[in-house]
Amino acid sequence: MSLEQQMLTALVVDFPFEWNYIRSIVRVSLYVSLTAVALSTLLSLPVALLVGFKEFRGKTLLTSIINTGMGFPSVVVGLVVLFAVSNQGPLGSFDLVFTTEAMILSQIVLAAPVITGVSLAAVSSVEQNVRDAAYAMGGTNLDVALVTIKEARYGIATAVLAGFGRAISEVGSVLIVGGNIASSDGTSVTRTITTAIQLEARQGRFETAMILGAILVVLVLLVNAIVVRLGSGGGRYG
Amino acid sequence: MTLEAIDVHHSYGYETVFEGVSLSVTPGEVVAIIGPSGVGKSTLLRLLALFDAPDDGAIVYDDDPVWEVSDQRRLEYRRRIGMVFQDASLFDASVRRNAEYGLRVRQSWRERLRHELGGLVGKENGTGAAVDALETVGLREQAEQDASSLSGGEAQRVAFARALAYDPDVLLLDEPTSDLDPRNTAVLEDAVLEARDRDIGVVIATHDMHQAERIADRVGVLLGDEIIEVGPTERVFEDPVDDRTRKFISGELIY
Repeated sequence: MSLEQQMLTALVVDFPFEWNYIRSIVRVSLYVSLTAVALSTLLSLPVALLVGFKEFRGKTLLTSIINTGMGFPSVVVGLVVLFAVSNQGPLGSFDLVFTTEAMILSQIVLAAPVITGVSLAAVSSVEQNVRDAAYAMGGTNLDVALVTIKEARYGIATAVLAGFGRAISEVGSVLIVGGNIASSDGTSVTRTITTAIQLEARQGRFETAMILGAILVVLVLLVNAIVVRLGSGGGRYG
Repeated sequence: MTLEAIDVHHSYGYETVFEGVSLSVTPGEVVAIIGPSGVGKSTLLRLLALFDAPDDGAIVYDDDPVWEVSDQRRLEYRRRIGMVFQDASLFDASVRRNAEYGLRVRQSWRERLRHELGGLVGKENGTGAAVDALETVGLREQAEQDASSLSGGEAQRVAFARALAYDPDVLLLDEPTSDLDPRNTAVLEDAVLEARDRDIGVVIATHDMHQAERIADRVGVLLGDEIIEVGPTERVFEDPVDDRTRKFISGELIY
């Protein structure tokens, strides 16, 4: 029996409850972070294109906000989002405290500035000549924007990756707005990989914490590999 | 079809570029704009390509002032004009995809989506007109290559094919051969003449007076902030009306 099989058997036999627990945590983590990153990308790309190519009042201020947002402490974001979704807050009527939706919201606030900032650098590096060519060939402003996105695809892929890295590995805001809740049947409700790791480590269950840690690292590596693979598609685009 | 600039005035900030420039191009003729570097040849082409509205005067397409019509109508006019820049400015894609671009933007979103999805699974359905345009510039065999693998001359020929593929009424060429070797220059000049034979009106900005003599039916001389003379190529070169034209053509420094 290989070492891997031995480990697997040991886990299944000794901790039959663990796999469901771990699987549900990974599922919640992926659901929250992937949704947050997808929504952030939809928000961020138009903003990056706007800031990159249009002149308007408040552009410097918006750029400063994006740059500040890239390094914003996640606990503070959690605190602000918790206030927003609490009974007294502007989103109080939606009853979002300790839900995955609130966690998605807080991760959008964290990931969007990163995706916008890195995408902005990428789209700004697309040469004006290429954009002019798209326009001169009869492209509309939307066509020019699409060409810009395609030309900047590697940079944008990097931006999405960086946003995902920020979302999946942060612990502060999801802990505050999600509450790190597991249900009575031992599966995650709002418990993510990161919040579970800190709980398991604090309770001395280091094996579970280590397995979750390894899964987190593998996930980030996997997403990185997928993005690099997509990015090297080269001539398929255009 | 006639594309005209009528009494155009234009400036960038405080710097006046044109004061009352007029020029027209009709189907099946090649008009060369000659003039020293920095005189505004590119600016004039950009105005004719409807990139910007002139400060004063009009750009007129078939007697229709294009900056007084609806955006949709102006887009339709814009789509009857092709442009090639001094720098090839190709997209980071295959040669064929570059040549097809103008055709794609004229398709419905549904057709474009189907094409994009087909491309992702490796099913390419090449458009005849794009391949024909590549044939015109002698690059049909390179259609599936990455545009970035081409030499500068070949890239510029693809840029020409890209503008030719959607069969425009007018082609605007901004010093298209200034960075090219003689062989690539000859291929492009032949392609220009072929476009003229297809009844396309061509405006070419160039500082190469021999090129103007070789391919242009008419020549406009842009000096200072105006076109000082327009006329049949032979007449302008042999017997210029304006003394400044004669001096410019003979290489005397007059600017």
